[in-house]
Amino acid sequence: MTRPAQSGHGADLAATLYERSGAAAYGVSAEQFAAILDEILRKYLPPNSAHASAEQRADFCAGLRLEELALARACAAGNERAWQDFISRYRQKLRSMALHITRDAAHAAELADSLFADLYGVNARDGVHSSKLVFYTGRGSLEGWLRTVMAQEFINRYRKQKRTVSLEEQTEEGAQFAAAVPEPARTSDRRLEAATDEALAELSSEDRFTLASYYLDGRTLAEIARTLGLHESSVSRRLDRLSTGLRKRILAGLRMQGMSHAQATEALETDVRDIRLNLRSRLTQDSGVKTFPEGKVPAQDAGEGSTD
Amino acid sequence: MTEVPKIVYHRLRAALPERAAPERALGEQAASERVHPDADLLTAFAEQALSVTERDGVLEHLALCGDCREVIALALPAADIVAAPIATETEAVRATPIPAKVQRNWLTSPKFAPSLRWAALAAGVAVVASVLLVHPGKLNQAMPPSANPQIAATAPPASGPPIASSPMDQSAISAKTDKARPKSELRLSKKLKAGQVATPSHEAEPGILLADNKKDSSQADKLSAAPSAGASAFDASTSRGATETVEVSGAAPAVALAPSAAGSLMARNETPAIEKAKPALQEMEVNEQQKTEAAVVPAPARSQARAVMSAAKLASPASQTLAQNVTWAITGGVLQRSLDSGQSWQNALRADRPLLCYSSHDEDVWVGGQAGTLFHSADGGVTWVQVKPSIKAQQLSSDVTHIDVRGDVRGDVRGLAQIVVSTRNNEIWSSADGGKTWEKK
Repeated sequence: MTRPAQSGHGADLAATLYERSGAAAYGVSAEQFAAILDEILRKYLPPNSAHASAEQRADFCAGLRLEELALARACAAGNERAWQDFISRYRQKLRSMALHITRDAAHAAELADSLFADLYGVNARDGVHSSKLVFYTGRGSLEGWLRTVMAQEFINRYRKQKRTVSLEEQTEEGAQFAAAVPEPARTSDRRLEAATDEALAELSSEDRFTLASYYLDGRTLAEIARTLGLHESSVSRRLDRLSTGLRKRILAGLRMQGMSHAQATEALETDVRDIRLNLRSRLTQDSGVKTFPEGKVPAQDAGEGSTD
Repeated sequence: MTEVPKIVYHRLRAALPERAAPERALGEQAASERVHPDADLLTAFAEQALSVTERDGVLEHLALCGDCREVIALALPAADIVAAPIATETEAVRATPIPAKVQRNWLTSPKFAPSLRWAALAAGVAVVASVLLVHPGKLNQAMPPSANPQIAATAPPASGPPIASSPMDQSAISAKTDKARPKSELRLSKKLKAGQVATPSHEAEPGILLADNKKDSSQADKLSAAPSAGASAFDASTSRGATETVEVSGAAPAVALAPSAAGSLMARNETPAIEKAKPALQEMEVNEQQKTEAAVVPAPARSQARAVMSAAKLASPASQTLAQNVTWAITGGVLQRSLDSGQSWQNALRADRPLLCYSSHDEDVWVGGQAGTLFHSADGGVTWVQVKPSIKAQQLSSDVTHIDVRGDVRGDVRGLAQIVVSTRNNEIWSSADGGKTWEKK
């Protein structure tokens, strides 16, 4: 089914979907709407894919946010009523979203206006004004899509600005630069890396996502839970289980590579950064010893000597 | 939280793919790991709207791509409301009878009091025995004045809780089981007319319920004479004696019971407390002269709906705001809601006929079912009103298969929603004024 309106059943379905979408109110014809659905179907369910049966396509179409899809596409086509609806529903929300993302009123206004311009199709490409809303396919809510697009825009802008701001400007703004920390010499055991990679590879993608979000990105349990649709306590339990399981698997992997239990434990606990920190503390201690050699000069005497 | 070995950090970081031209790649459709999923997929992923296969694919990418994880995290909607579970009907009945003061005071808690009482007694005896052993010669002089006060001092706090908890238990149970009493309704209406209670606030109801269940006339007068006793009793800044603790413990459960029941029981016709309160609440409504839905709902249904809505005013603000984070689903013809992103579900609405579809926009929730069943909640599912769309002599009677709700929000002013209802026999019923008047296509 390349077009939802090909067969009799398909025609019924297309008509039902068209009615449900309310696209007629925005001046989108049934044919235009069928073409939009066709385009979305080709994108997510290619005709040659294993999930391309007529029922699956019908289910897929029925699961789309049809009303929001009709609104977005009508806006992209320049329908005035659609724009009125869009503005009344989302203009204020766009500003709130921008503030939530940027945490700064000035940047939020800038980001929201910029995105709104993109949505309206102010910027012309090859002489044609194109709205970003043509990319909305109704898989998720339009509001969620707007938030995601805004987050992408924010990250892109942030990166661009980060590249273009000179060091002098940053210094003027009060940024302080620490000396670059040299990468420590590679001292970790290859066997340890291999065992860790193997243990990580055995995890499900959701588990690895959870680990990366929590330990690499520093996301909170609540954020991870909301992303995965879980309860916070489930994420907490999962992280506990993962860290315990990973340790066991890495140790088992190291033992399989010929290490004793004690060696494996030592290799797992040793970290190059720890070594560097230890050296630093040792150096500090040494300098302290030199400052006050063997307590030969009592503090009082030293004070008196200095006054003399 | 248990820490992972540091080598895991290194290897997780090392597993990240190359970050080539992220701003170009973001937003482009993709299937492979190196190309980012588009905004549609990321949105659907965050909203749990993807198929299992697609979700796995996106998760596989997200596990390796810090950029997309950042986009997902930034695009999470603001969590203004801390989700707290709405008590189910059984939980509500079980949980509310325990007064807050008694819960806080572990020493006087009925659960611990007997053991603590005996422990205190044993400790006192042990102290006396040790004193006697050390000073055996002073037995006749020291023992009577020193031992008795110690033992006596432990008794009063231990004997407190049963007194405090018993009226509350009675009131809570009677609120569930007793039938409505005309006298109480008359009293309530008289008080309302006399202006003792300016609005049908939630404090008034507990007082009446308590008063009806008191055998002791003095206690009943005391409680019923103060319809707002709950409000004053909730003031934690005042220090009160044991008698006033009885008022608090008595008023609190009835207040807490009503919202729970209103939230979960009303749609099932299992609303003992609310059913009892209907006549009085109807009178409140009449006094308020709210006749806005006369065009839509027939008179009996309207009065019932108002009674239910009025009863729902007993709900705490917290439970009402919780509705904003609700996830809905229909299982087995029953509307269910989840406040924890699908971890647990509660039945939110069960109609006479199976429900088939729903639609929500902010706090506006519409549910449709077989044979023209249509319910509306304007407060996120706290209260429900049955709507019967009709035009001329024709009424919506076919199965409702789909509902679209389009909110009309302009700035901070919330307008009327547009509702489009599709039926199994291809009728389209629409309302542009939040369900007051309908058109049929």
